[in-house]
Amino acid sequence: MVAPSDAKPAGKDEEKKGAKGKKDEEKEPELSEEELALKTNLDMMVERLSDPDAGVVKLALASMIAEIRSATASMTSVPKPLKFLRAHFDALKARFDAMPVAQSENRASLADVISILATTKELTREVLKYRLAGSPSDLDIWGHEYIRHLSGEIAEEFRVRREADSSASVDDLMALVKQIVPYHMTHNAEPEAVDLLLEVESLDLLEAHVDEKNFGRTCLYLTSCCAYLPEPDDAAVLRLALRIYRAQGKHHDALRVALRLNSREDVEAVFAGCAEPLAKKQLAYLLARHGFALNLEEGSAAVEDDDLRESLREIISNSKLSEHYLALARDLDVVEAKTPEDVYKTHLTEGRAPAGAAAVDSARANLAATFVNAFVNAGFGQDKLVTVSGGDAGSSGESVHWIFKNKDHGKMSATASLGLVTLWDVEGGLPQIDKYLYSSDNYVVAGALLAIGVVNACVQNENDPAFALISDYVSNEDINIRTGAILGLGLAYAGTGREEVCELLSPLVVDTEVAVEVSAFAALALGLVFVSTGREDVVMSILQALMSRSDVELATPYAKLLCLALGQLFLGRQELAEATTEVARTLSDRISQFAVVTLDSCAYAGTGNVLKIQGLLAMCGEHITAEEGATHQTSHQGAAVLGLALIAMAEPLGGQMAGRLLEHLLQYGDPTVRRAVPLAIGLLHTGNPDVLVMDTLSRLSHDQDAETANNAIVGLGFLGAGTNNARLAGLLRGLASYYYKEPTALFLVRLSQGLVHMGKGLLTINPYHTDRQLCSGVALAGVLSVLFPCLDLKATIGGKHHYLLYCLAAAAKPRMLLTLDPEGRPLPVPCRVGTAVDVVAQAGRPKTITGFQTHTTPVLLGAGERAELATEEWLPLSPVLEGVVLCAKNPDYVEMEEGK
Amino acid sequence: MGQNQSAQGPGAPGEGKKDQEKKKKYEPPAPPPRVGKKQKKRDTAASLGAKLPTVYPTAKCKLRLLKLERIKDYLLMEEEFVQNQEQLKPQEERNEEDRSKVDDLRGTPLSVGTLEEIIDENHAIVSSSVGPEYYVCILSFVDKTQLEPGCSVLLHYKSMSVVGILSDETDPMVSVMKVEKAPLESYADVGGLEPQIQEIKEAVELPLTHPELYEDIGIKPPKGVILYGEPGTGKTLLAKAVANSTSATFLRVVGSELIQKYLGDGPKLVRELFRVADELAPSIVFIDEIDAIGTKRYDAHSGGEREIQRTMLELLNQLDGFDSMSDVKVIMATNRIESLDPALIRPGRIDRKIEFPLPDAKTKRRIFGIHTGRMTLSEDVNLEEFVMAKDELSGADIKAVCTEAGLLALRERRMRVTQADFRKAKEKVLYKKKEGVPEGLYM
Repeated sequence: MVAPSDAKPAGKDEEKKGAKGKKDEEKEPELSEEELALKTNLDMMVERLSDPDAGVVKLALASMIAEIRSATASMTSVPKPLKFLRAHFDALKARFDAMPVAQSENRASLADVISILATTKELTREVLKYRLAGSPSDLDIWGHEYIRHLSGEIAEEFRVRREADSSASVDDLMALVKQIVPYHMTHNAEPEAVDLLLEVESLDLLEAHVDEKNFGRTCLYLTSCCAYLPEPDDAAVLRLALRIYRAQGKHHDALRVALRLNSREDVEAVFAGCAEPLAKKQLAYLLARHGFALNLEEGSAAVEDDDLRESLREIISNSKLSEHYLALARDLDVVEAKTPEDVYKTHLTEGRAPAGAAAVDSARANLAATFVNAFVNAGFGQDKLVTVSGGDAGSSGESVHWIFKNKDHGKMSATASLGLVTLWDVEGGLPQIDKYLYSSDNYVVAGALLAIGVVNACVQNENDPAFALISDYVSNEDINIRTGAILGLGLAYAGTGREEVCELLSPLVVDTEVAVEVSAFAALALGLVFVSTGREDVVMSILQALMSRSDVELATPYAKLLCLALGQLFLGRQELAEATTEVARTLSDRISQFAVVTLDSCAYAGTGNVLKIQGLLAMCGEHITAEEGATHQTSHQGAAVLGLALIAMAEPLGGQMAGRLLEHLLQYGDPTVRRAVPLAIGLLHTGNPDVLVMDTLSRLSHDQDAETANNAIVGLGFLGAGTNNARLAGLLRGLASYYYKEPTALFLVRLSQGLVHMGKGLLTINPYHTDRQLCSGVALAGVLSVLFPCLDLKATIGGKHHYLLYCLAAAAKPRMLLTLDPEGRPLPVPCRVGTAVDVVAQAGRPKTITGFQTHTTPVLLGAGERAELATEEWLPLSPVLEGVVLCAKNPDYVEMEEGK
Repeated sequence: MGQNQSAQGPGAPGEGKKDQEKKKKYEPPAPPPRVGKKQKKRDTAASLGAKLPTVYPTAKCKLRLLKLERIKDYLLMEEEFVQNQEQLKPQEERNEEDRSKVDDLRGTPLSVGTLEEIIDENHAIVSSSVGPEYYVCILSFVDKTQLEPGCSVLLHYKSMSVVGILSDETDPMVSVMKVEKAPLESYADVGGLEPQIQEIKEAVELPLTHPELYEDIGIKPPKGVILYGEPGTGKTLLAKAVANSTSATFLRVVGSELIQKYLGDGPKLVRELFRVADELAPSIVFIDEIDAIGTKRYDAHSGGEREIQRTMLELLNQLDGFDSMSDVKVIMATNRIESLDPALIRPGRIDRKIEFPLPDAKTKRRIFGIHTGRMTLSEDVNLEEFVMAKDELSGADIKAVCTEAGLLALRERRMRVTQADFRKAKEKVLYKKKEGVPEGLYM
């Protein structure tokens, strides 16, 4: 038999001519016998469709449908029946149009077939068109691929209709959507359901189909979409996730979303909605980590039970933080105090040791040692310089206490370092600081006041000692005492929004009689206290200060602090800041641009808003030829560069792309822009010492421009803050010997060394926490209070305002995982720590961490790391294992029998 | 250090300015020298993100779209920024000036030498082709990150100082392997073998074109396939068809090519091969006649055998070693799978083993159809006779029969091939095949 080629054309030509002929001829030789049979069969059915008898048509359709459904295809090619039917596509359509309306059932079935067939063609929404005409039966019999195709066309159709007429009826589409969504939701395709609903703008439909099996994946997808959606949608998505989590009783997840929304009502509602005391405590730990002050006495989040309220208050006020931190330190065996020399490790430095050159500027060296000592021993309550009492240190008789080995402002910082050493430990720290309050030296008193603030940073003691101790000094005559007191207050109440602080400091901001310095620090303190609240009276007073100050005063770096304070007030509040931005435009041209840029970038901090980035980038690209003495014309560019990083730091993707932008800025930018780039890099990668970033910064730290180099050194410090990164430490040692004759650079290198070893590697100052999902406003404000002044490094950190570095206390948090049992005692459990994996929209139950190691809690968590419990015995009350986690006994746990 | 400094002209970094400020004779120690390939690789990456971030999830969904759009937005901004800057400060003019200066410094003619060793930041030992080695300076405008021992450098004609680098190309051996011109055979030229085609598509082509399909279902796509079966069953043909249809880089090697004269050259070539494949990813590496190097290991008596085994060990390592090869797929072909080393074809290295059987009647018919498609056949030709015959014909045999029949017709100056030609041709082909080689030789 020479069969294949002969039999077919004959049968085919009878019923159809034209179009498909050419195509089929190519394929002819490949057709096997079964295929041929199938083809003739289908051809015959198509022919039968034209039969006037409804019964015949019905039969033909039924067998056609059966044929299509039973076809199994490889994933690459079109199923065979469809391939053969394609040729008849136009004929079928014609038949459909010609079919009498009376045969509605047949019409519908035929529409089904055409709709399926249309998926194999590149047509404009034919699938949907015939689907709408098709039978109202279940869609899922046609398979996943078809539904996917249909979803795409629905989205397209929706857009077309809405574009034509914004109120066009989409009911028919919605009916389909309502069929498709449950299908997706029950078939592990939650992302597709969400996508479809996003396209047709009716996310609310989702809620009904979420159950305990699929809510996790759904909400994970929703929350990760949020960062990339345009403005009204992103909040809508989060609200939906919040509702779903609440409906499912996942309070911790819900609270995280609520915090991300930054809405007080939602946070309170979630908190109040959680009845179980243990879970509530866990929520309180999250709030404490975030620095969110909650009123437990009254309001919607009030707690009836006195005992519970007391313990919750204790948690939210971070009172136990010091205790937990020390427990971690004990467990990791790093309690013993370190000296600056332990950090410098000069014996490892090659070549000329800076030791001999230290004499060049011993005051600087001492100051550097002060800071290094403070950072390294932060929170440990003991060190080998400042907490050592005079008697011990004076074993050789004539030796003076370390504080008095410093000069002027150095003494202030040295005294204040006491605060950092005893960080969070209010009861233990205050007595040690107290004695310096009565010193005759104003600098020491100022330092002591600052120290009180630092000790109380992020901790609200029930006796509220900070306000009582500091408030009197705010009106002191001595300018140093004043600034110390003001900054102390700001740190002690950072993020709490205390009214009294506002009452005390607001007049100082407005008063033009006091030095601009005092005014600026008062504003900064207010900025810290009322961070991202956008409080109007504070905003007004800062604006007033900016308006009433003379141009000379506005040219000082202090004016920039005023602007920063303004920015902090609107941190992440987006359009809320617009009115204020408009006002800022009308300020003196000395400062207006800087104020506008700072305000704008702070307001959109962590949003990833591309338009804002575009604006800032354009600003950085300008080449302003400023005349001598008119540097203010370019000063806003530095802020713009920091703003870039600030806005883009929201998600890793934006961070990486912003890195590329910064690289371009380095190549094309003017000196002011280039100088800010290392700081921006530091901000983008705070506490995340990536090797490539480190290389870039180390390249910049040898830059010809001294200021760029200095900023790069600071950037390195931020990059490795609290990581103990050995590579970075080695790099800084190299820098120390490189710059051994440059006092400023050397001072900064020392500072960075201190930062890298912050809290002996137990602390982090990264404002992002809890799996990088949440950005703590207080922490970010603290970091910004250091980075913005670095734009004028010589006048601030490198000058006499080095104590601004203590603002980092507001950002410092232990980077630990500490597990507690229900009674609040530390509970050692095995856990796995590894690199976090992005599992959004992945099939099955993928691993969330990779390359893990098993430890016993408490453990340290590095940047980009995640932990999970390695035992079934305990159940964590928080899905994200970070910070303090309460564990409950697993009731279903069965001890594995030994020896089996 | 890096681009920034080298663009600023001569002098150790940071030296000039500080000296002026401090009026002291003081020279900071040079930053650690950075040379070599590794450093170069890192430096290109060090620019905070020469690479675009990878986007997760890989499944088709809106989140992915949004993320990709976000990246696009950023790239557009970059483009806009760079364009504006270029307009403001055309860099080419500046470069032009610099370049002419550099050319002056270089002088002509230049001699070519090999860099033997780098002594410190500014000095190196070079050797010229005539013999002696010199200790010379490296001029500051030379990009030191690209210098590495063994590379060709341009030397000043008098002072012999290094004034330029001649970038080396990839191993010519490997560049030959790249298939530049796609072979003419396509899938349509393969008769039958449908399951085989499907398997190879799933294992090799789809992972490169649609990785999300695999992600969707949550599996890792296979790394490679091995094609095995009787001679002449179309293994190489199928590989050619893959090369024809794919837009990925197709590298082809024959196992015997990997056997080299000198010790260590074979493994090096394998490494080089996979490095190039990785560079040009997505790519497909096709190793024909793998049994040339992939036979079972046993106590080797000669150095040559040991070397071959070492080459295979390197291949093993490249297939499933420490360095992940993501977008490189491997196809191997052999007709003696039983003699291959089990380690080579274990799952994880070669996940799919595709057998190529002798064609059945249906397939034979199609193969005949393919080969006779372009021949002028006379009326009486009935190919069914051959298709239905019980002889074991492979695809290659069928082709031989057709060719032979054509030749016979040609011999008699006929324009049509008759059934008789086919019969004769078949007999001839089968005779040769059956008689076996020795007899054939004496014919």
